[in-house]
Amino acid sequence: MDLTFTPEQLAFRDELRTWLREHGPEGALTPEPRDEDEQWEWRRAWQRTLHAGRWAGVHWPTEVGGRGATLSETAIFFEELGRSGAPLPADVLGILLAGPTLMVWGDDAQKDRLLPTILSADETWCQGFSEPDAGSDFGAVKTRAVRENPDDPESDWLVTGQKVWTSGAQYAKWCMLVARTDDTAGAKKHAGLTYFVLDMEQAAVDVRPLVQITGSPEFNELFLDDARIPNSMVVGGVGNGWKVALTTLMNERAGLAFFLQVRLRQQLDKLVAAAKRNGSVDDPIVADRLADLHVRTEALRLMAWKGLTAIEQYGQPGPEGSLTKWLWSETNQLLVQLAVDVVGADALTMEDSWGFELLRARGNSIEGGTTEIQKNIIAERVLGLPRAR
Amino acid sequence: MRFELSEDQQEIQGAARELLAGRSSFAQVRAVVEEQDAEPTGMPDLSKVPGEDAGLWKELGELGWTGIAVPEDHGGQGLGLIELVTITEELGYAVAAVPFLGSTTAALVIQHEGSDEQREDWLGHLASGELRGATTLTGDKVPVPGAAEGSLVVVADAHGGPAALYGPGSGVVEPVTAIDPTRGHGRVPIAGLDPEEELDGRGEWLGGTVTPAGPGFDRAAIVVAAELVGVMQRALDMTVSYVKDRKQFGVPVGSFQAVQHGAAQMLRDVTMARVLTYNAAWVADHGDPAEVRVAASMAKAAASEAGRTVTSAAIQLHGGIGFTWEADVHWLMKRAQIDAALLGGAGHHRRRVAGQVVAGNVPAA
Ligand SMILES: Cc1cc2nc3c(=O)[nH]c(=O)nc-3n(C[C@H](O)[C@H](O)[C@H](O)COP(=O)(O)OP(=O)(O)OC[C@H]3O[C@@H](n4cnc5c(N)ncnc54)[C@H](O)[C@@H]3O)c2cc1C
Repeated sequence: MDLTFTPEQLAFRDELRTWLREHGPEGALTPEPRDEDEQWEWRRAWQRTLHAGRWAGVHWPTEVGGRGATLSETAIFFEELGRSGAPLPADVLGILLAGPTLMVWGDDAQKDRLLPTILSADETWCQGFSEPDAGSDFGAVKTRAVRENPDDPESDWLVTGQKVWTSGAQYAKWCMLVARTDDTAGAKKHAGLTYFVLDMEQAAVDVRPLVQITGSPEFNELFLDDARIPNSMVVGGVGNGWKVALTTLMNERAGLAFFLQVRLRQQLDKLVAAAKRNGSVDDPIVADRLADLHVRTEALRLMAWKGLTAIEQYGQPGPEGSLTKWLWSETNQLLVQLAVDVVGADALTMEDSWGFELLRARGNSIEGGTTEIQKNIIAERVLGLPRAR
Repeated sequence: MRFELSEDQQEIQGAARELLAGRSSFAQVRAVVEEQDAEPTGMPDLSKVPGEDAGLWKELGELGWTGIAVPEDHGGQGLGLIELVTITEELGYAVAAVPFLGSTTAALVIQHEGSDEQREDWLGHLASGELRGATTLTGDKVPVPGAAEGSLVVVADAHGGPAALYGPGSGVVEPVTAIDPTRGHGRVPIAGLDPEEELDGRGEWLGGTVTPAGPGFDRAAIVVAAELVGVMQRALDMTVSYVKDRKQFGVPVGSFQAVQHGAAQMLRDVTMARVLTYNAAWVADHGDPAEVRVAASMAKAAASEAGRTVTSAAIQLHGGIGFTWEADVHWLMKRAQIDAALLGGAGHHRRRVAGQVVAGNVPAA
């Protein structure tokens, strides 16, 4: 066991801290605007600032604008970013999901065309996986892609169907799209899927905002009616979409876990401060709940680092991924619920940020795989129990 | 950052696991318990401690386990809390019928809070295993493992006051039949330790002066948490293998989602307790001394809470067989219930966390 950073890691962290002090919320970064579109532009500008300092994709190879950072350094980056109070870059989906997926599965032409604009936020991404009838059961996607000319293996693809809950689609240039290319009877459900990069800038793609319970349209419905994708934008080969999508999903929580865990810590600090100010901390029940949140948050931090040790040691994530996702979402939900008791009625108004947090937190146990699905994964893949019935 | 036991530590862990698999199977634990039950009531045989595997205890002493974290100049091996925690987890996994927990925690307390004289007098005897120790807090009257007439007992005031040491034969221990029959327990009915008052003639102040209990008792709590982690891991392993095997409705009950999610919850709870416990041990060995207190309380809070729920869930997921004396799950639940209360339960430790977290480290506005 060694729970300290190496001198190299400390140097990395200190360089980052110095940079964040100058450019982050303590320095040049302006406060977050309220309007959702302005918020997006603000986060896009922030990503460009990060990129100028070569901080936008620390885990990306140096040739494509990254720092070739180790897993630990990447974790440190997200912890420090969270700690500084700075937002995530606008295009987390491009930086954490699309880019790494292309680096594994993309061909040279795709990498040359698509990677350079990600870190600079010149082109941003969305993730078109979920559909009305394919949520937890992601393999059930129905959106269909057919070759325009079935006899020509180089022919363009035409895609028709509906995607849903697509975050950031209103701003995105590209979409990681999983569609069915083979539904012949008997073809195994997962075998008929193909992973595409869809250009969102075409009339056949209709993006309709879906308003969340918070009142803001963070995600969208996507209606595709013969949307065109050149054959060169098939990623990882026709019929290989399930495997490519798994790469995307595996990357989803890698760095984010550290950012979210530190954000939780900040929210908790804020809540403790509020409880001290209004004296509710003297209520033994409030004190007990605050301490419980503290214990959970610390456990999350340690579990995230333990998971990283496992990846560095054995090349694959341990069970901690699903455990931390589940523990994080539950803890955040407990935290915002306690805030209502601590802050009082203000937390039930949209004037107070706790009101927004209370509502937004309900999505935590649904987005990125529901808690029930995480538990299934733990039971079947970690504990080795027989498939659920 | 490397959250993993070192090679040496893994070796200790492996050796402990292997030895205990042969020397402390459930059948062997059961034999110790049933031998004790078979004894006629009436005059107790003072040469024998109930619920104790004397042979195993002797062996552990000879192997140096009892003194693993005691400094070498007091006859121990001078290793760290991590090594002690690693072994303790394995003993919990085996529900070993030995007074290890009481003796090693008492030694930690004396090592970190005793006077030179107290260290000189007691550490060597505790390290060799010839003297039994017991560690507890005032007021709660929990059955204390290792507490017997001939034991050395260290007691800390539960409300942050000082601590006292009671030598063997002090008369401070009362007999008790605890729910856990796999080791000996006694009660230490001391209501509180008031720094303003003289100690009654039976004991002496720990460290020779009246100072608030601290680093020794914090470490002791970490060791108890470690035993809980081992107990929980065993409960989880047993449950997983049982539900894979047991069939109802023509299929393994482990294929029912309610059962699966129960098992997933057990894993999450054990994992939280484990990372917090090993973190606390690491902080105690290498970290900032000011952080040991909170790290210890976080570990004990998580382990106390989870120890109860995980071992109860194990019984539930075994169904009726889990409720019988014949199945071995109950040893785990019983051990966990006592350890959960020993040296402060989850509520006690969350109060300490709250006190510390609220006191400092928080932005003013
Ligand atoms: C804020 C937010 C942002 C999102 N962003 C995106 C995005 O950008 N791109 C994208 O593709 N998707 C996105 N999603 C979609 C998200 O991945 C899905 O909502 C999620 O996977 C669940 O699918 P579903 O909504 O169809 O629910 P369903 O799968 O219909 O689930 C309904 C209920 O049934 C339970 N359930 C389903 N199957 C099982 C099972 N096998 N065992 C036990 N319980 C089960 C679920 O846990 C849930 O409680 C987002 C969701 C949210 C909330």
